[in-house]
Amino acid sequence: MLTLEDVRVRYGAHEAVRPCSLDLAVGETVALVGPNGAGKSSLLKAIAGLLAFEGRVAFRGRPLAELDARARARTVAYLPQARTVHWPIAAREVVALGRLPHRAAGQRESEADAAAVEWAMRQTDVPALAARPVDRLSGGERARVLLARALAVQAPVLLADEPVASLDPYHQLTIMAALADYARRGALVVAVLHDLSLAARFCGRVILMQDGRVVGDGAPAEVLRAEALERHYGVEPYIGSHEGQRVIVPWRPLAK
Amino acid sequence: MTTRGVGRCAALAVLAAAAAAASLAVGRSSGGAVLGLGGPDLAPAILAEIRLPRALLGLLVGGTLGLCGAALQGLLRNPLAEPGLLGASSGAAFGAVLVFYFGLAGPQSLALPAGGVAGALAALAALYALAGRRGDFLTVILAGIALNALAAALTSLALNFAPSPYAALEILFWMLGSLADRSLAHVWLVLPLMVPGWIMLAAAARGLDALTLGNETAASLGLDPRRTLWLVVGGTALAVGAAVAVTGVVGFVGLVVPHLLRPLFGFRPSGLLLPSFFAGALLTLVADVAIRLMPPGPELKLGVVTALLGAPFFLHLVMRPRAAALPGD
Repeated sequence: MLTLEDVRVRYGAHEAVRPCSLDLAVGETVALVGPNGAGKSSLLKAIAGLLAFEGRVAFRGRPLAELDARARARTVAYLPQARTVHWPIAAREVVALGRLPHRAAGQRESEADAAAVEWAMRQTDVPALAARPVDRLSGGERARVLLARALAVQAPVLLADEPVASLDPYHQLTIMAALADYARRGALVVAVLHDLSLAARFCGRVILMQDGRVVGDGAPAEVLRAEALERHYGVEPYIGSHEGQRVIVPWRPLAK
Repeated sequence: MTTRGVGRCAALAVLAAAAAAASLAVGRSSGGAVLGLGGPDLAPAILAEIRLPRALLGLLVGGTLGLCGAALQGLLRNPLAEPGLLGASSGAAFGAVLVFYFGLAGPQSLALPAGGVAGALAALAALYALAGRRGDFLTVILAGIALNALAAALTSLALNFAPSPYAALEILFWMLGSLADRSLAHVWLVLPLMVPGWIMLAAAARGLDALTLGNETAASLGLDPRRTLWLVVGGTALAVGAAVAVTGVVGFVGLVVPHLLRPLFGFRPSGLLLPSFFAGALLTLVADVAIRLMPPGPELKLGVVTALLGAPFFLHLVMRPRAAALPGD
């Protein structure tokens, strides 16, 4: 269980995340949705300990702030929105960087590290790219390699900022399935998503944010209703259903 | 590092050791090069007091420049970074120039390198005082570049007010960089600064790898970018400051060596540190031996040779992949 108590993020006078308290359970795949500037990324970064925030974040009752840096990194894995890789190193080497929190300085890659790297690369369908330098990959391929890097940490909490943003439809579906599968095996996955159909289909819980506030929290059918999308996104959605699942397509912007 | 990488690194170490041996075997007198170790004309004193310090300092200084170049390029994720970028090297040069200026520099005297070391440490302290509290990358780099410019300007000021033209010339010549006429005392002076500097850089290795994925990902991997930053900046200031204090400015080694090694060892920053040390030592020692093999005349300065060879070579390295990338070219 990941517990957020009055987590609040301020950039000077601007309040990016207003005090928010949440209980997030291991086994859940949580979609964090909302318009641009709603505070989704700031909330993820606060949980990951990447920016200064007020309040408390605890995992299994223990405040994350009390853990040393390596233990914390083994507990919470984070995939940023930016897909930066500064050197043209091979895809497999990128994924292997996810094992850094499991190794002390000077220690070489163990068999467990190698197994985790292979497993993570299979999850995101990148074993064939293993030897390719990342600068020779397409944007979507690089995004999958970087997600494999985050999965390779094998942390019980995985925070992913727009993990499927630049992927083709095939990989959007397979990667979302892989994330849901990772959660089912005993992890908490929190993913920032803009595709509401994917959120409704693959996530058991949706948290909707606007202006730094959590304005909706619950099952997809409760949160992703037409009137909520009109009010918070300013769009009129088409909401249909296919094979018993919700299909949500933003259709028309509403006059502001 | 892969098994092949370990083999290549060992080969570089052997070559560096061979270059150090060559440095012991080649001397220079007013008549030009003097070859050989033995012979009745070579007193053991020459070996111990002239050639040994020169070979050892070539190894230490060259290795330091290569290592620091690789670490700084990894830190800044920019292949243009070089050990002199953040002010330690010009701080050391200014410290040494002040010693000249006040006429304290005697032959074989340690006042000169001591002044250089003090200058490097002062530059580091100033950098920390200016940028340490905020500790973000851009502040530290910009403050370092500003300090670098300030130290260079102060050096020019000292030259401007040099007590005599001879003194100005002496300062200029020293700044060109050389390993000649140093003693074992210089070695003992720099080691206590270089060794902790190397250790700090080695401790930054994992942090440098993590920085490949950006500051946020590095922090999420438990490797605080600010810690990596200060390990590299502090380690470089200590090691390069000490190097410049005894040899003057030897350019291009730190810039070129990591570029040379990337095709052999890959781009991962931690995998380049140790090979860059050996390759830096190798390059510096080879250049320093070549100087002694030149025809009779005034001895070329090491810094002049490394820059003369380094600049065109660097240009070649940089242009090559560009040309290959042009289709139908």
